[in-house]
Amino acid sequence: VDELIATAIHDAKNRLGAVDALLASAEECNAAVGEARQLTRDINRQLVELLAFYREGAGVLRLVVDDHDLVNFCHDVRDEFILPAHSGLVVETDFTAADRLGAWAFDGYQAQLILLDALRNAARFAQRTLRFQLEAMDRGICFVVADDGPGYPPEVLAGANAAMSPGSTGLGLRFARLIAARHTTPDGRCGSVLLSNVDGAEFRLCLP
Amino acid sequence: MDLHGKHGLLIDDVPEMRNNMRAQLAAAGLEKCDTARNVKEAVDRITQRRFDLIICDYHLGQGADGQQLLELVRRRQLLPLSSAFLMVTGETAYEQVATAAEYAPDDYLIKPFTSATLATRLGRILEKKEALRPLYLALVEKGGRDKALAICEALIATKTRYMLDVLRHKGELLLEAGRHADALTLYDEILSQRSTPWAEVGKARALAAGGRDEEAKAHLRRSLAAYPNYLAAYDSLASLLEKSSKEEAQGVVEKALNVAPSTQRQRRLGGLALDNRDYSRAEAAYRRAVERDKTGFFKGHDDYAGLAKSCAEQGKLDEAFAAVKDMGANFPNRPELLARQASLESQLHIKSGNPTAAKEALQRALKLAGTQTLDAATSLEIAGACFAAGDEEQAKAIIQSIAENHHEDAEVIDRARGVFRAAGRESEGIDFLEATRKRMIKLNNDAVTMAQSGDVAKAITMLTEAADRLPNNCQISVNAALAILLDVQRNGASEEKFLLARDYIGRARAANPEHRQLPDVARFYRKLAPPDGPTLDD
Repeated sequence: VDELIATAIHDAKNRLGAVDALLASAEECNAAVGEARQLTRDINRQLVELLAFYREGAGVLRLVVDDHDLVNFCHDVRDEFILPAHSGLVVETDFTAADRLGAWAFDGYQAQLILLDALRNAARFAQRTLRFQLEAMDRGICFVVADDGPGYPPEVLAGANAAMSPGSTGLGLRFARLIAARHTTPDGRCGSVLLSNVDGAEFRLCLP
Repeated sequence: MDLHGKHGLLIDDVPEMRNNMRAQLAAAGLEKCDTARNVKEAVDRITQRRFDLIICDYHLGQGADGQQLLELVRRRQLLPLSSAFLMVTGETAYEQVATAAEYAPDDYLIKPFTSATLATRLGRILEKKEALRPLYLALVEKGGRDKALAICEALIATKTRYMLDVLRHKGELLLEAGRHADALTLYDEILSQRSTPWAEVGKARALAAGGRDEEAKAHLRRSLAAYPNYLAAYDSLASLLEKSSKEEAQGVVEKALNVAPSTQRQRRLGGLALDNRDYSRAEAAYRRAVERDKTGFFKGHDDYAGLAKSCAEQGKLDEAFAAVKDMGANFPNRPELLARQASLESQLHIKSGNPTAAKEALQRALKLAGTQTLDAATSLEIAGACFAAGDEEQAKAIIQSIAENHHEDAEVIDRARGVFRAAGRESEGIDFLEATRKRMIKLNNDAVTMAQSGDVAKAITMLTEAADRLPNNCQISVNAALAILLDVQRNGASEEKFLLARDYIGRARAANPEHRQLPDVARFYRKLAPPDGPTLDD
């Protein structure tokens, strides 16, 4: 991605922010506006993800690792995620481990983008239920987003393809892997993204 | 938490943004909210009344930003720690906000966001402020370190949900108290469960405080590989490297400046580059420090002095004189300013081959020093001018007085060393300052030995004379008070003795309220003083 495209992305992102603000004031009058807002946020997120790849290429992608209250963070992600209208889907959450761990150091902004993408993707394939939870690992944490749909295609599980279906860019998964890998610790551990099929697709963002 | 009844201050330089944000704040429940358009207005408002919440946009125009404002109001203690500071930022600037080293905002919010998000975040900050209020109050209390540590222990025992915040404060307090072994244990315990940037840097600081500099440097380098944006790690590494290689220290500060702009770090870069005789880099750094902030809140005399010196060393004497003149236009007309300008002018006149003008300017500076009490930085500038004019004796007399007054203050001693270095007398300076330090330690030790062996009266005379001569030397004032109290214990009490001891404790507190021996001497005083005797304030 060259600098011109990055600048255009940045500009488009800011304009989307302005559209979102306008839609926020119109939302009270029209329920469909809510969906339009969700769409603008999704596009905004995609643009931020694209920018991350530009920054990575230019050697200026910077993670901001800071302590985050895990309960608050998980609730923020859940609140930010809006299920498609009339989908009938349910989001089950389990933040018990978040409560026990208290806070953890990671880039909250990037992690939220990853998880919102994962939730959006899960909502596309889920039959009835999405699951969003946090698990404690040995000196690490793992965010889990799962659905009860058909599961990941074999080529995605094999790592040969990042796109879940024809027409999908696979940007979200690539972004997740990039950001997870950039989460490192002084003793040499690093984050990862794990995909598996367990009664549906299960996405795990593991951070050291 | 309910925001009704809370009083906020919103700072944003763009009128439309200010109006939108104010509407969002009202929707979030914050009805009482003043506004400010820039740093100056914000400082005025914050000085006039106490706010529960500050909501500040990162970009404030005028070359200053929200981070600089936060540093200013926290450092000058205009905004108590119990008041919350929320920084609002765009996606591109949030890295700079979130990587702030010493003065981080309580939280930051990335645009765009909804009123509901804003309300939730403000509520959380205020809840935390409320839960940790006793700790925040103790942290700013003079001599309140022990109390703050006790509050940390109590909060840890309650398994507070803000455990990491409390542990972070506890580590800082242990380091400040010189309890580096305890701090190291604490950081190791934290790091055995999780890696977090502040604990990694804390561990390195504890290692360095225990004399394990090489381990500390290696630890900081590993930390920076994992957290390349964590500014506190750069700052700590640069401080350690300064002791062995100013060139390497300069490189580290330059890397930190690539992460986030900062007037403080530009100033530090300027100083290091001057020491390294990298004059063009020094000029660029000082120029940025001077020009970045058009409000004048963040500049200091040192920036203009550094700019003048770096220009002069490159033969740009007109620009050097202009910097000294600009200095006068940017600061109040106080003795420190006039003496600093005169000293700098004297040094520049010598470089331009005008010894008569140099002598006249130096006389002006010395006259001010003779009639006014000047700070250490200004006095040392005058010493530098004396060296430049060839008056070695006068220069050394000034430096000796400053070094004796501040023999425990590493920053002042380093600056004094810099004066010798600039005069081309670095090794002589090291010996001179070391001899002064040893002399001060010997004076204290001799007096203590004398008092312990029974000659309390002679010890008191020795220490009170020294304390009267060196009002900024906390250690001597503490020992003077101790000797007087020893006299009370051995030879009987009198109101006069207690008044005198109290006076020296007061002087010691004024010189350094956090001196490690102050709590002990205060306890000793209270143990001996009768209930109807002169009382010692907390």
